[in-house]
Amino acid sequence: MRIAVLIKQVPESSSVRIDPETGTMVRSGVEAVVNPLDLYAIEVALMIRERNGGEIVALSMGPPAAESALREAVSMGIDAAVLAADRRFAGSDTWCTGYVLAAALRKLGPFDLILCGERATDGDTGQVGPGVAAFLDLPVATYVSNVPDFGPGLCRVDRLTEDGYEHLEVQLPAVLTVVKEAASPRLPTLRGKQRARNAEIAILRAEDLDVDLDRIGLKGSPTRVVRTFQPKVTRQCRRLPARDDAEIELAADQVIEFLRQRNLL
Amino acid sequence: MNTASYHPVTAEIAAELRNVVGDRYVVYGDPERLEPFGHDEIAGPEYAHMPEALVRPKSAAEIARILKLANRERVPVTPRGAGSGLSGGAVPVHGGIVLCLDRMNRIIEIDPDNLTITVQPGVVTNEINERLKEYDLFYAGYPMSLETCFIGGNVAENAGGGKAVKYGVTGRYVTGLEVVTPIGETVRLGGKRVKDVTGYNLIQLMVGSEGTLGVFTEITLRLRPRPKASADLLCLFPTTEVAIGAVPRIMTGTGVVPTAIEFMDRTSMQAACEYLNESIPYREAGAMLLITVDGPDREAVERGYDRIGEACLEQGALEVYVADNATTSERIWKVRRSIAEAFKLVSPHQSLEDIVVPIAAIPEMAAGIEALAEEYGIAIPCYGHAGDGNLHATPVKAPEWSLEEWHERLPQLLTDLYRLAASLGGTISGEHGIGHKRKSFMPLVLAPAALDMMRAIKRALDPNGILNPGKIMDG
Repeated sequence: MRIAVLIKQVPESSSVRIDPETGTMVRSGVEAVVNPLDLYAIEVALMIRERNGGEIVALSMGPPAAESALREAVSMGIDAAVLAADRRFAGSDTWCTGYVLAAALRKLGPFDLILCGERATDGDTGQVGPGVAAFLDLPVATYVSNVPDFGPGLCRVDRLTEDGYEHLEVQLPAVLTVVKEAASPRLPTLRGKQRARNAEIAILRAEDLDVDLDRIGLKGSPTRVVRTFQPKVTRQCRRLPARDDAEIELAADQVIEFLRQRNLL
Repeated sequence: MNTASYHPVTAEIAAELRNVVGDRYVVYGDPERLEPFGHDEIAGPEYAHMPEALVRPKSAAEIARILKLANRERVPVTPRGAGSGLSGGAVPVHGGIVLCLDRMNRIIEIDPDNLTITVQPGVVTNEINERLKEYDLFYAGYPMSLETCFIGGNVAENAGGGKAVKYGVTGRYVTGLEVVTPIGETVRLGGKRVKDVTGYNLIQLMVGSEGTLGVFTEITLRLRPRPKASADLLCLFPTTEVAIGAVPRIMTGTGVVPTAIEFMDRTSMQAACEYLNESIPYREAGAMLLITVDGPDREAVERGYDRIGEACLEQGALEVYVADNATTSERIWKVRRSIAEAFKLVSPHQSLEDIVVPIAAIPEMAAGIEALAEEYGIAIPCYGHAGDGNLHATPVKAPEWSLEEWHERLPQLLTDLYRLAASLGGTISGEHGIGHKRKSFMPLVLAPAALDMMRAIKRALDPNGILNPGKIMDG
């Protein structure tokens, strides 16, 4: 089994500030980490390898500094890491990112399974995983909440939805995006860290990939950010007095009615 | 200084208090709102005591007026920070007024040229370092409760915590204090000076005085350049013996001074991991060391943790995990910081202890604690700061013991525990303080003449016994 895990380096979210003038994230001086939700995809890949054997390749698109995120993945036990890094990729939106990653996967492939986190904690779109699947014309299952098991030419996954779970059989190769429930990420070991320090991170540049240079980077991105703003949060709070048993009874009834009216009960 | 000599807080006194701080900042005659101010984080309800009034002043001048009033009316006053203490320092054991410093929460000045910060006592400790980030400076105090505790309480208890191995405890960083004395005088001690031998070292007398000698209203702290990188090792060991045995080798054989060496025995790490739903393979291990290394850059830190990690493996560690970013680092420190909370869930009847021994005596102390547990037939989970000899052994009531039996037998168990610590050159509290929780045990570790010195100091500064009476020693 050959598995690719797509990861992204993101600013560590507890230290992120938003520039009040521009409404954009202040990234300078902020610690960069592996997108926390990608750690679950890495763990699922490692667990599949433990059960079924095979090889895992971590792939990221980002600036040269994103190498450290890939090293963290290697220290957790990933076999090989590849970074798609090229100035011409800079400014890519989710469409372009999916396009470039798909091209890189084609180059590095074939893979039986491509795993992604549910979404990145910085952009928060959750679009790149499904985008990659579309570019590669592969089936995709999002919000996978288990470590899949495998049958002939397929994998069985549980999909977490608003109403419960879907149990799917998905034809391989496939793209899966996984949620936190799927597995608990392991910590890198000392030996893993030492191995990762010396690991070679292969770099893919635009010319290494079969991509149309007009469709990558900022100028190739169809997304235009017209305006960003912080939504105004308005909360209307109603206080119900509950000073004695009678009032508590009444207040509880009112809370139940309130929740019923909104279909929350 | 006995209870009989104190007067109750009358409606007239409450009115005067309102006059000093404003209506909104006095609670009087409302038991429901006073209740939270009658205890700290000690688990046992028997250590709690209700205040008669709560006052939340905004300035040193207000505090001075309150203390003068209290002296005139013979009403005890107990200063309180965040109430996260573990020896009852903030508990008003004689009732009276609780003086809560939560409104005095301003960072007054950051002085990068002198490497100091001056703060009010109600600043949450963690906030200090948040604010210092942009200056590339840091304050080295790191009590485990740093997300909630106040710096004023840290100074009053001379809080230690996780980084004392390398950086020492709170007192090392206090260079200046503004103090309102028990009789209501406001004095400034020290300043921003690195050296100062102008008479008695009153600052260090105030540090760790548990709110009995003065109320701090401004605190100047020495800062250090922020270490640019750090990493944590989580080392799993087969047994307590092997883990504790590795500590001297780590401290002396690697040439690296770790920032922290925290120890957790099997029971502690299990409780914390289960509480946090943590998936570290702790079930196979008998003990854990959490070791932090910091330094000027990533390479230096890598060299440091390589040496320490290798030493741990040589000494018999089953596995060494490395956390070198905010995500993983927070994850493993959370295990350590959650132990106390997790235990409270396991059993509310326990006594969180704070013994400290010279570091070479740690293995003997740990073995002695296990022997005591066996002798008494109860669990004494043990965790703490292995690098500085400060162990939080925590006797937990055996399920088959009745509460009466627990209260009856605990003092004897503690006496045995403390005697053992003392026989190894240790003492009964390293960082939590004496408060009213441990004061009856003071004669085990201090000579009568030493206790008399303490009483003489207390009487000289607080002739009416107004400020936080009933703590540290009986008058």
